[in-house]
Amino acid sequence: MSLIELKGVSKIYKSGEHELRALDNVDLTIEKGKFVVILGPSGAGKSTLLNILGGLDSPDEGKIIVNEKDISALSGNALADYRAKTVGFVFQFYNLIPTLTVRENVALVREIAPNAFPAEKMIAEVGLADHLNNFPSELSGGEQQRVSIARALAKNPEIILCDEPTGALDSDTGVIVLKLLLDMARSYGKTILIVTHNQNIAKMADVVVRVKNGKIISAEEQIPLSADDVEW
Amino acid sequence: MLVKKLFRTFGEYKAQFISMILMIMIGVGIFIGFNMEWVTIEKDTNAFYEETHFADYRVVNDGDLGFTEQDLEAIKAIKGVDAAALFASIDLNVKGEDKKTLAVTVTTSKDVSFFKLMSGAPYDEADEEGIWLSERYAKENHIKVGDTITLFYNSDIPLIVRGLVKSAEYLICVPDNGAVMPSFDKYGFAYVSPAAYLSLAEFPIYPQINVRSSLSEKQFKKAVNAALAKTTLVLTKDEVISYAEVQGEAKEGKTMGAFLPLVFLLIAVLTMITTMHRIAAKEKTQIGTLKALGFRDGTLLRHYTMLSLFVGIIGSILGIGLGYLVCYFIMNPHGAMGTYFDMSYWTMYLPWFSFLVIALVLALFTAVGYFSVSRMLKGSAAEALRPLAPKKAKKVLLEKTPLWNKLSFGMKWNLRDMMRHKSRLFMSLLGVIGCMVILVGAMGMKDTATEFIDSYYEGAMNYKTCIYLDTSASDTARNEVIELYGGNYSATVPVEIGEKAISLTVWSLPNDKMRFLKEDNSYVKLTDNEAFVCARIAEEFGVGKGDTIKISPFGKSEVYELTVGGVARSLSESVMISVDYANALGIEYKADTIYSDTPISEVDASLVAVKNVRTKGEIMESFDSFMEIMNEMILLLIIAGIILGVIVLYNLGSMGYTERYLEMATLKVVGFNNKKIARLLIGQTMLITFFGIILGFPLGVLVLKWLITALASEYEMSLYLGPLTYLVSILVTAGVSLIVGVLVARKNKKIDMVAALKAPE
Repeated sequence: MSLIELKGVSKIYKSGEHELRALDNVDLTIEKGKFVVILGPSGAGKSTLLNILGGLDSPDEGKIIVNEKDISALSGNALADYRAKTVGFVFQFYNLIPTLTVRENVALVREIAPNAFPAEKMIAEVGLADHLNNFPSELSGGEQQRVSIARALAKNPEIILCDEPTGALDSDTGVIVLKLLLDMARSYGKTILIVTHNQNIAKMADVVVRVKNGKIISAEEQIPLSADDVEW
Repeated sequence: MLVKKLFRTFGEYKAQFISMILMIMIGVGIFIGFNMEWVTIEKDTNAFYEETHFADYRVVNDGDLGFTEQDLEAIKAIKGVDAAALFASIDLNVKGEDKKTLAVTVTTSKDVSFFKLMSGAPYDEADEEGIWLSERYAKENHIKVGDTITLFYNSDIPLIVRGLVKSAEYLICVPDNGAVMPSFDKYGFAYVSPAAYLSLAEFPIYPQINVRSSLSEKQFKKAVNAALAKTTLVLTKDEVISYAEVQGEAKEGKTMGAFLPLVFLLIAVLTMITTMHRIAAKEKTQIGTLKALGFRDGTLLRHYTMLSLFVGIIGSILGIGLGYLVCYFIMNPHGAMGTYFDMSYWTMYLPWFSFLVIALVLALFTAVGYFSVSRMLKGSAAEALRPLAPKKAKKVLLEKTPLWNKLSFGMKWNLRDMMRHKSRLFMSLLGVIGCMVILVGAMGMKDTATEFIDSYYEGAMNYKTCIYLDTSASDTARNEVIELYGGNYSATVPVEIGEKAISLTVWSLPNDKMRFLKEDNSYVKLTDNEAFVCARIAEEFGVGKGDTIKISPFGKSEVYELTVGGVARSLSESVMISVDYANALGIEYKADTIYSDTPISEVDASLVAVKNVRTKGEIMESFDSFMEIMNEMILLLIIAGIILGVIVLYNLGSMGYTERYLEMATLKVVGFNNKKIARLLIGQTMLITFFGIILGFPLGVLVLKWLITALASEYEMSLYLGPLTYLVSILVTAGVSLIVGVLVARKNKKIDMVAALKAPE
């Protein structure tokens, strides 16, 4: 069964007479529970695709069906609701709230997500049980990213969206974080989309989508390698 | 190229800059406005006093016969006396007009307390039929030069208006019955020649000699007592309404000019410090880039310092304009001073120290700009390039208490954010407190005055009609009138206490037609062995219940010792005793006022001993214009308070918004909707407002206490705050915060989640 379906989605940025089609008539179907990697060079439109899927942005043309519901025409508040319940985000720069402790950063999702998991449980699962009362600035980059993974999963969303989740980390830490992310997403049965230009991450995916100039040039299923088999 | 950047930077932080310009404008404006006011009053009135030769001393004879030519010559002979004149001022009713009175003035010399001719014929001391009428009274009553007005003095006296005049002697033209404000249409003044005085009164009495002299008070009093061979009442300028009240106004201007602008300028400078620091921190990478490109530190310093100087200059220029406006608002013919003082002209003076203050403000601003940027330029270009490390979050004290876990996430977020940005918190608090203090001070002032007037009108003045007696009439004639209208009367005896001239008022009040309020608004009971003193005398001489005071009536050598029974509120500086006490001590007095319940229409004003009749309402009328002026000032203050609150809160609110932009973007991404984020933002503003109100209220009461003594000690008011003031000051302050909070929070709809997430903090 398809969880996400994009039909003829376009996103157009206009500046004066110049028109940039960041996404150009994109069709894409993603099955539930899959690990999808979206690959492409800078400016190809992969982040735009992720933003539109995540409800951060709306398309100018086309439909996005998530769970049999069209989110392309939702209003601001309904979109916020969609973000709160259906998607979890992991960003390149973690985006934790600096004035909240680790526990509070994860617990804050309970304010908006009805089925949220207890913060302590999620933090323990990412291995930071000893850092519950630390502030983000007291943690390393990798640790901060683990908090952000805990936060994304705590909402118990259907989909986890990640934008270059290892982009700000050194490669060893990156691998650890990535493994954690995948293991947890799989154990909770989540669909996971990662946007990256790191070819190695793509080797671990169920589906690799290649984007160029706002168009999808291929979307292929493959047999994933485990992280240990990938040469980093 | 940098200049271009200067203007763009200005555009980028326009909310902050505009608010600072406004703060400086208001601070400088109010400073200049009020200081201009008192300097203008001092300079203009001094010129007017000089022009009309305002007397330095007034020698008063309380006897029935007044002063003679011989007395005048004796005074003139005193070494150090420049000029002297016999002087009389008699209140006469204007015929055909309902209750209009003129203080008809006669002086034997043009060199002391004379008038200034505004239009018509010059003064002629031989003119027996002419009158030189107050220009203001003439204008209010549509009287022109050449018209005839008829005064009543034993019989009808028609006089021809020769000229329209103004006089410093009547700069504040109020009848001598406790009126606070002039009513130009009902009470005016006029000058007639001694020749006219002779023809209308067979035996003209001059109860006063006006003197111009540079002698000191002590020297002069001694010389007068020697020249006239008896202790004589000498009034200094400070004891004359037209001088003392003017000095009082100037003093009020000084007080207002010192306190209010200080609040605004202080907040402006502090805001500038926070804002410039934020801007410099935000521009640090830019500053570093320019430095890396090869710009010298000096060039960059100049660039950013220019920015703050620029703000200061624009604010100051606008402030000078506003100052003129404020001053004009007060001084124009229809403004507060115009309806109080009867001046022939007002020339506004910008005091020299205004420029000093402006220069100081500009210097401060420049220094603030300089130091915030020089901090960013420290070290090598590479160091300058690195963004300023954000402040680390810290645990707040509250976290150690169990209460912390009960707080919502929003509350925790807000509390930590406030602790993280303490200067922002402090400034916002200051804004709320400032707003609150000004509101409580202004509205409390009004409450206090209203309560004072009410208690005076409802409580103290327990009569319907006030009958003024002619003290030159015989005792029998006066006693008849007293008997006829209920027997409640008072007498005023000018006395000396220490070196000071005050009034001893003697009261016979069988029906309590007049009562005296204590400071706590209960009533004083006059007994036959105690005197009550007004608050000012109590304070000046440090006396209270049980103490004794020594008084000596003028023109007499007796000294009486009175036992003080307590302090009573009084409009004039006086000591109050009962007739029984006066009789027991043997103090002589002459009844001059009757307090009666007989309606004014039933009072026989034609009785020989009756000089004048007024209803309670008429006496209170003068308070109306006093209250009008009060209301104007209060409105001005309330507006200033609200503007202060709005500017400070908006400035800091948008600063906080910018600083938390990334955090809010994250919350939005995570799934918080706009409403929820707005609630968080407004929550912080309201939290600060809550503490600001709690701190601001008592501070406002303190300021009010100070204002009452600084501005209105002569009314001996006691501090009073109406329930509405509590409610309105809190609601307005909270309302201002809420509106500003909503305005700032509305911006969160425009948060660009995508862009915000690309940048690390």
